[in-house]
Amino acid sequence: MHWLLMALLLVTPLAWGQTPPISGTLGAVGSDTMAGLMLRWGETLTTRYPDVKLQFQAGGSASAPTALMAGTTRLGPMSRPMTIDERDNFIERYGYPPLELKVARDALIVVVHRHNPLRALSRQQVDAIFSTSLACGAETPIRRWEQLPATRDWSFGSIALHGRNLASGTHGLFQERALCDGYFRNDISEHPGSSAVVAAVGESANAMGYAGFNHLNPAVHALSLYNDDGVAIPPNEAAIQSGDYPLSRYLYLYVNLPPDESLPPAEQALLTLIVSEEGQQIARASGFVPLTTSDLTAQQRW
Amino acid sequence: MTPTRLTSSRQPLRLLQDRVATGLITAGGIGVLLAILAIGIFLVWETLPLLAIGDTLALAKLSPLAWGTLKAALAALLFAIPVALGAAIYSALFMSANLRTRIKPALEMMEAIPGVVVGFIAGLILAPWIEHHLASALAVILWLPLSAGLAGLLWQLAQSRLRRRLPLSWAGLWLVPWLALMVALVLWLAPWIEQQWFGGDLRQLLDQRFGMDYATRNALIVGIAMGFAVIPSIYSLAEDALADVPSTLIEGAQALGASRWQALWKVALTAAGPGIFSAVMIGAGRAVGETMIVLMASGNTALFSASPFEGMRSMAAAIAIELPEASPGGQTYHLLILAALVLFIFTFLVNTLAEVVRHRLRRRYRQMGGTS
Amino acid sequence: MNSGAANTVSRSPRFHWLNNLWPWLCAASVALSLLMLSALLVLLLVRGLGHFWPATLEEVTLSSGETFAGEAIREVALPQQEGDERLYFTGNQDIDGVRWRWVAIDDIVERSQPNDLIRLERSPWGDFIGRLVAVEQAGQRWEGEAAWQRLTTLLALPASQRQESQLLLTTANGQALRQPLANVASAQTPNAMAWWQKTHAWGDSVWRFLSEGPRAANTHGGVWPAIFGTVLMVILMSVIVTPFGVLAAIYLNEIAHQGRLTRLVRIGVRNLAGVPSIVYGVFGLGVFVYGVGGSLDEWFFSDTLPSPTFGTGGLLWASLTLALLTLPVVIVATEEGLARIPEAQREGAVALGATRLEMLTRIVLPMAAPAMLTGVILAVARAAGEVAPLMLVGVAKLAPQMPIDGEFPYLHLERKFMHLGYHLFDTAFHGEDVQAAIPLVYATALLLVLIVVVLNLTAIFLRHYLRRQRGNEC
Repeated sequence: MHWLLMALLLVTPLAWGQTPPISGTLGAVGSDTMAGLMLRWGETLTTRYPDVKLQFQAGGSASAPTALMAGTTRLGPMSRPMTIDERDNFIERYGYPPLELKVARDALIVVVHRHNPLRALSRQQVDAIFSTSLACGAETPIRRWEQLPATRDWSFGSIALHGRNLASGTHGLFQERALCDGYFRNDISEHPGSSAVVAAVGESANAMGYAGFNHLNPAVHALSLYNDDGVAIPPNEAAIQSGDYPLSRYLYLYVNLPPDESLPPAEQALLTLIVSEEGQQIARASGFVPLTTSDLTAQQRW
Repeated sequence: MTPTRLTSSRQPLRLLQDRVATGLITAGGIGVLLAILAIGIFLVWETLPLLAIGDTLALAKLSPLAWGTLKAALAALLFAIPVALGAAIYSALFMSANLRTRIKPALEMMEAIPGVVVGFIAGLILAPWIEHHLASALAVILWLPLSAGLAGLLWQLAQSRLRRRLPLSWAGLWLVPWLALMVALVLWLAPWIEQQWFGGDLRQLLDQRFGMDYATRNALIVGIAMGFAVIPSIYSLAEDALADVPSTLIEGAQALGASRWQALWKVALTAAGPGIFSAVMIGAGRAVGETMIVLMASGNTALFSASPFEGMRSMAAAIAIELPEASPGGQTYHLLILAALVLFIFTFLVNTLAEVVRHRLRRRYRQMGGTS
Repeated sequence: MNSGAANTVSRSPRFHWLNNLWPWLCAASVALSLLMLSALLVLLLVRGLGHFWPATLEEVTLSSGETFAGEAIREVALPQQEGDERLYFTGNQDIDGVRWRWVAIDDIVERSQPNDLIRLERSPWGDFIGRLVAVEQAGQRWEGEAAWQRLTTLLALPASQRQESQLLLTTANGQALRQPLANVASAQTPNAMAWWQKTHAWGDSVWRFLSEGPRAANTHGGVWPAIFGTVLMVILMSVIVTPFGVLAAIYLNEIAHQGRLTRLVRIGVRNLAGVPSIVYGVFGLGVFVYGVGGSLDEWFFSDTLPSPTFGTGGLLWASLTLALLTLPVVIVATEEGLARIPEAQREGAVALGATRLEMLTRIVLPMAAPAMLTGVILAVARAAGEVAPLMLVGVAKLAPQMPIDGEFPYLHLERKFMHLGYHLFDTAFHGEDVQAAIPLVYATALLLVLIVVVLNLTAIFLRHYLRRQRGNEC
């Protein structure tokens, strides 16, 4: 029933104007990677339905399950999928799983200063640089620029590392995918936002950091990563959309929706906007990568 | 001292009103005091589960934070104590009364500048600048006290007409352009000095000669930024203590043949010693609990390192960024509340100490004033 | 104490000049503090206000023959190499994919400032910098000077009335672009503007910064909701803190038995002023939000669960937390005022047959009013600049719904609100693009400092004025 209504809305853009006026405040708590994106979707929604407002509190992806569980929100944007524990806790509390929607594509990028000659890293090298556990198979930790072939003649000494704080999904995902679930070094500067990471790396020539793709700007250079076949894949839109880039990921929106209930109209309108062509263009303007068409159709199920 | 009431009034209504009002005020007052007490009780209550388990992991997780807190506070105090006490000594003992009434509020106004503003300037503007110009920054820090001494020397060599024009009692004001000039001079010369003495790049030298890492956001930055925030509170209290030293003491010492500086140094500083101590304690309490500056300027690296060029992570900053995400009842939640409890107890003790010392001092002055 | 150090007759002449340097070091400390304070304020003023001045646009040709247009932002030294590089804001994110460009200065062949460069503010892609070719509306077409005229007329209309209009634009390197006018917020040709036009545009931008809400995920637009949220929260806080603070002070000073216990309590209250604000935030989160708020939701708002009403950070909890935080300030200030009232006044009142209530309300409170007022203003000044506890109990990155509106019950205590200090932190660290946000952060910081400083100055002058007035009375 609902997807039918939604399909109707998608086909006839004019229908936007004809739907009965809806109102309400949408609260969302979660990933600050997605903060800008959520806010822009909210702004677009408000221009369409002046009485619908979106309140967003950015606290890192880990705050979304907490808030969903505590009941402080119904919408939990996350830059990583829920862990099994988080999901089980939710089911234990409410008796049903949260509705999981993929809303855009993103990637983690490893960045260096714009004048750094380094262009690509292998998985083992990334692990050797950022971790103490060397879980991905490297033999020695890499601490200094001289240890990397591309920067052998570089006299910048130690690699200054920058990353995100513990609560962010970026931190968790990088740990899982790039460190093979190992441990981070403890001398990584932990910044409260990805843009702060990029800004810090852009300021110092001896720095390296990881951040979300949408924060990439010309002050830094995003490194290509070698995939399992030994091909260096640059983090560009095509490689991220297809998932070829090793650290690409989906962005999720978790919704607390009891199975026998339908969504309130304001939430409904937001989700509809997100999976529309316009919503995906907004994602692109915010620096993310739109979903492929097949991904998009798979999301329309509430 | 409650005045004794004369209950000769013949209007029971008024008396009743009075009773009720007194009761209400008492209830309200006690209620407010209890609410304040509740903070401590809540923190202890919430950390009990952690203490009950006897979790050693908690201690292991908390200790780098505790170290970071201390390191940040120490860095701030290293910068703030000399400047604040110097300023206090000058404005209490040397400054013209006319100037003092204006300068003191201006310096106290520094305290009002929100931590988030100082943190922003330190983290996003000062830190990158110092990273690019480390030698210049260190040169400025070294050169400033020397240039103050130089000003004093030049002044003593100067002609008496000039000296009368620029008296010491106004030096706090007219040294401002002098210092600005000196800073400009150092900034202009520093690249050349770096080239001559340190082979062009001080950071490379640090790295190769001493194996020291340099983090953009480090103890040096935190020290300067938080020192800036702590200076006014130390200054204000220390100045009060010094200005309250009975003038009879100083005059007496001078009458006994001490030079003015000796009289001030030996007599005034000794007399006001406890007051100055309590001022420093209050400053330390403030530095330990300051959140936004450390959060924005420290890099939040949980390291055990004493290097001034490496970052740290403080308890207050960890609470601010991690508590909203910690699920209530979880281990992290209790751990962070334990950190809050530690902060609470520490600042409470330090402040109590300061308050008691100050109280004693005030009583002593009163006695001295009474005998003179 | 004037110029005493010079006249000193020291007993150890060898160290006499060294000894005399100490006062200079002390004087330099004052000078250094003043220097730092003024440097900070000047930096905030220049950067905060300078951002709104229409910036000159440059057209730059590189040695590779490539041309682009943009606003020069800053220069830094190239690492390891001789020379500097310059950062340009080039806009046009939809065409180039990026908004910034770093260029080595040695690489620049030619720089010019042509008058026909325009800068459009649009959504969702941000600024456009380039040239206007034509304006099209309902089959009509304007070109050249007429196009600019038409554009300014159209921009004066509300967005809904320019749906069909389109702009034909080219970038500096010749790429063409069609831009629907409905998405354009403003247009400028900064190089062609005279100084008075720029001043006008500057005033306009400052006003928009103060009066509008944030746009484009807080990277553009103004801070009005944050100003409003800050002020409302502070007002609520003072409404809560004043009666309780005064009540506690009266109890401590006028009613409680002045024994050891009262003295201990007094020291305790005084010390609470030194407890870090973040600790109050933890208390507010644990007790107000999770404890009281959660229970309120279960009792009264169970039908809207799992969406919380009071069980999440909000205006009420933030005000309460800050009220608790500033309670010691008010108590201490009021107590000082009460202690300064001569005992004779109280005794006189009682001797004339007044009850304690009458003595308090007619004699003591009016005399202590200035002290109370000072306490409240100091509390407000402290609360306005606090950010750390608010991060735990109720600020939002963006709260489009004002806490006061036309809907019943008009004041929505459960809503989240925006706060200037948190807005500053958020745009500086969480934003999408720090480089773009920094000018706005400067402006926000300036505003916050101004508010806090003005409040503090009010407290200082008030105290000064009332003390002098009292002095005349006595």
